[in-house]
Formats: sequence, C-alpha cells, structure tokens
Amino acid sequence: MSRVIDTLSRHLGETLFSVLPSIPYAQKEKAGCPGIAVATKQLSAAARLDGPVAFADATFEIPCGCRTALIGPNGSGKSTLLRVLAGLTPIRSGEALVAGESPRLGRSRIAYLAQRPHLAELFPLKLRRLVQMGTYAHHGWFEECQHGDEAIDLALTRLGLTGLAERPVHTLSGGQLQRALIARAVVQGAELLLLDEPYAALDQASREIVDRFLFEQSHAFTVVMATHDPADLSRFDRILEMRDGTIITRHACSGHDHRHA
Amino acid sequence: MLELLTQPLAEPFFVRALVAIALCSATCACLGAYVVLRRMAFVSTALTHSILPGVISALLLGFSPYLGALAAALLTAAGAAWLAARRGTTEDSAVGVMLSVMFAAGVALMQQANSWRDFAGLLFGSVVSVGREDLVVIGVTAAIVLFGLRVLHKELELASFDEEYAALLGARPALMRVVLLVLVALGSVACVRLVGALLTTALFVIPAATGVLLGRTVPQVMAWGVGCALAGGIGGLYLSYYLPAVPSGAGIVLCCALPYLAARIFAPRR
Repeated sequence: MSRVIDTLSRHLGETLFSVLPSIPYAQKEKAGCPGIAVATKQLSAAARLDGPVAFADATFEIPCGCRTALIGPNGSGKSTLLRVLAGLTPIRSGEALVAGESPRLGRSRIAYLAQRPHLAELFPLKLRRLVQMGTYAHHGWFEECQHGDEAIDLALTRLGLTGLAERPVHTLSGGQLQRALIARAVVQGAELLLLDEPYAALDQASREIVDRFLFEQSHAFTVVMATHDPADLSRFDRILEMRDGTIITRHACSGHDHRHA
Repeated sequence: MLELLTQPLAEPFFVRALVAIALCSATCACLGAYVVLRRMAFVSTALTHSILPGVISALLLGFSPYLGALAAALLTAAGAAWLAARRGTTEDSAVGVMLSVMFAAGVALMQQANSWRDFAGLLFGSVVSVGREDLVVIGVTAAIVLFGLRVLHKELELASFDEEYAALLGARPALMRVVLLVLVALGSVACVRLVGALLTTALFVIPAATGVLLGRTVPQVMAWGVGCALAGGIGGLYLSYYLPAVPSGAGIVLCCALPYLAARIFAPRR
C-alpha cells in the first residue's frame, strides 16, 4: 500500500516539478568562511519582543574554525545570543554579522540546536526524512529533493544512527533526536553550529558520539556552544562569559585558520 | 445484493453526488492531514461556520454564493490573525471570537433573508442536490488545493514539523500558515454542499485523524485519510438513499466515524 503511494507520488511529482521554476529560499551565498565567522558590535537583544534586554553592548569576534564555549548563569542571555546569531530573534540595537552578512536573511550556512527543540508532537516523519530536511537549504521552492542520499547516509553513520533511519521521529529518545538534529546540520553543510546546551539530553554513549564529532574530527566548522559544564571548558579554543548583561572574552582563539588535528 | 448497489447508479443525481464525494474526499482528507497535525481543527471549524453569513449576504446582494462563502471564510481567517497579533488575546480566543461573531451574523441575516427552512441545505448539506455548476466549482477547487499541497509539500511538512528550522532556512513558515488557511477556506467552500456549514469541519478532522493513526509519513496519512473519507462518503450516500430519514450530510459524517473507530481500536500501538 505505502509503496504504491510513494511510487505514484514520485511519478506525479517528477512531472509537476519539471515544469515549475525553482527559487532558492535565501539569496545565494559565497561558499567558505571569510576569516571571521561571527562579529558583533554593541549588540543588544531581548528574549521576547516586548521583554527586558537580555544583554547589551556585546562586542566580540569569533574566527572561523574556532570552538567557542558560551558560559554564564541561567538567564544571562546565552540562549538569546544564540538565537540572534541564528536569525531567529531580532536585534534590539547594534550589529551582528555571520560570515559578513546579516543572519536574518535565511542562511544555509547556519545551524541552530535549541535546548528543547519545538517539534510537532506525533508528527508522521521517519528519522531519515528529518535528516533529509537539511538538503532543503540547497534547493528551494518548487524543487524536489531526490538526491543527497550519500550525504544522508554518511551523516547517519557519523552520528551512529544508521540502524534507526526508518524509525518514526516520535519514538526516538532525547539523545537520538539530538544526534539526528546534528546530522541534519551536517547534511545542510552548515559552517556555523550554534548549540544550546546540547549535552542536557544526552546519555554517556550519545555524548561520546557527539563529542567525537565536534572536537576530534578535523573539519573546518565553527562551533558556539552554551554549556554549564566546567570540566568541559579545556577543550574549547575560546570562552565567552556572559555576566550582568554583557559579555567578557576569557581567552581567544589563536589563528584565523584554526584547525584541530 | 449487488442490485442494491447498482440500482441507485441509474439516477443522474446519485452519480453527481458520488463524483462530488470523491473530489471532496481527496480535497478534505489531504488538507485535513495538516489541519490535524498542526492542531488547526478549531480554526477550520471557524472557517466553515463563517460560510453561513457569506452565502446569505451573497444571496441578499445578488452575487455567487461561492464567492460570498470564500470571502467570509477569508475574512474570518484574517480577523482571527489580526486579533491574535494584539497583546492579551491568544490565538485560541481570537478564533473563538471570530467564530461566534460570524455565525451570529449569519443567524441574524437568515432572519432578514427568508424563513429558516430555506437554509437547511446550507446548514446541514444536501449532496443529492449537487448540480453541474456545483461539480465544476468542486472540481476546480479540488485541483487548486491538491496542486498547492503537492507543489509545497516539503515546505508545508517542514513548517508544520519544525517551524524554527523553516524560519532559519528562510522557508517562510508564517507564509505557509497563510497558504494553508486559504486552502482550508477554499476546501470548506467546495465541501459545504456535501455536509453543510455546521459539519464540514468533520470532513477535515475525522479522515485525517484516522490517517494519523495508520500512516507513518505525511503522504501515507493523506492516503489513509482519503480512503476513510471515500468509504464514509459513499457509505453515507447509500445510507441516506435507502433510509430517507437520515439526511445525507449526517449520514456521511457518521459513516466517516466508523473507520476512525475501527482504526482507534485496531491500529497497532506506536
């Protein structure tokens, strides 16, 4: 039954989409990191539109490839800062640039993982399809995503999800879901990973997989991670501390073209 | 036994009703998948109920009742969105306000226009009185809705499942919501002949709710929903043909509820 529907739907889709124009979601971006991944100037923002300012006058730079920890007490504005950089929360004043451009344009090079992702409950979706959503960044309106299978398989393998590809998303554990969302960011080809306390939902096994992925593999993406774990900090290149409504840089990344071995 | 099934097919009105049911089943069940998955059942109820004042004002002013119905449904959607955008009103209560205001306006207009009896078909549906022009309207609407759902499938699915990620990619989740509301308004207008303004929401919710119990992907949910709506629609039509005491609209909705019950009881636990 389901196979018949899938085949029918695919054939119908192929005919339909071959006559439609394809329009990208966001304007075309230049590939590659231009040296500075994130730059802010006197940035201030609020968690809610009409709420109080979460942080103000934040000026900092994060070079490409730098693994950055974002620390500070609860309510210090870590999540708001990450959401601003993802283009999901508007800026109150000042400036924030991601790879030299405004993050609000809709960007394929940014991936953001919320502390508690707001996903529709009981949504009929298999894990593989969730990861495939990452490829949408490279397509756009009126285009089907039939390709990208290799990238999806690779991401699933790297995050230890191969056996779970056909599982419905709502049956996954918190850690498996978190890894699936990271796999989606990988398929998307994101160069900037914004992670809001990603370890909160992870057990030891999941944590090791994510750790290996973020810290040991030598690909040149930039990580900004909100974290509460003081034992963690030695692994980061740079620490941004949020306190009393502003940001203090504790120690900086060395070079622009920073890579891990 | 077979005669019981074939005998009504000799009547042209019955065949027209069957065609209308087939088209509306596809429209409503596919749209309904998103209505149910996005918890828009209440909004869809408001849109379908607001058809009443739309049709009556169209009759009073002398233009097409379909246009009147569509305008009223869109007005309800826009009004609810406008109210909910202000602080202090949740979307839920904004929809509630629009629903009751529009329906009350419909009742008031009904007194103005004529006696209650004339509007029974509008309130409760009369699939057996579907004419050629109605079929054209239903067909065109079904084509628009199904085309829209197919073309925007990946965007609608993404925006419904993970709105934030859609926003991050620039896939316009707010626009997708508007598109869905417009499609639901179109679908309700087309299906009001089948089950009436009061029950049209059942065609959006019951088949799709059955689909959600059985399907594991959005297209599967839609397919099961269409099956359920078809079975219910055809069953209801035969039921009211042989039991004239049962109005066709009520018969269709009751027959749609049977597959839902069966699925509820027998669907594998997930």
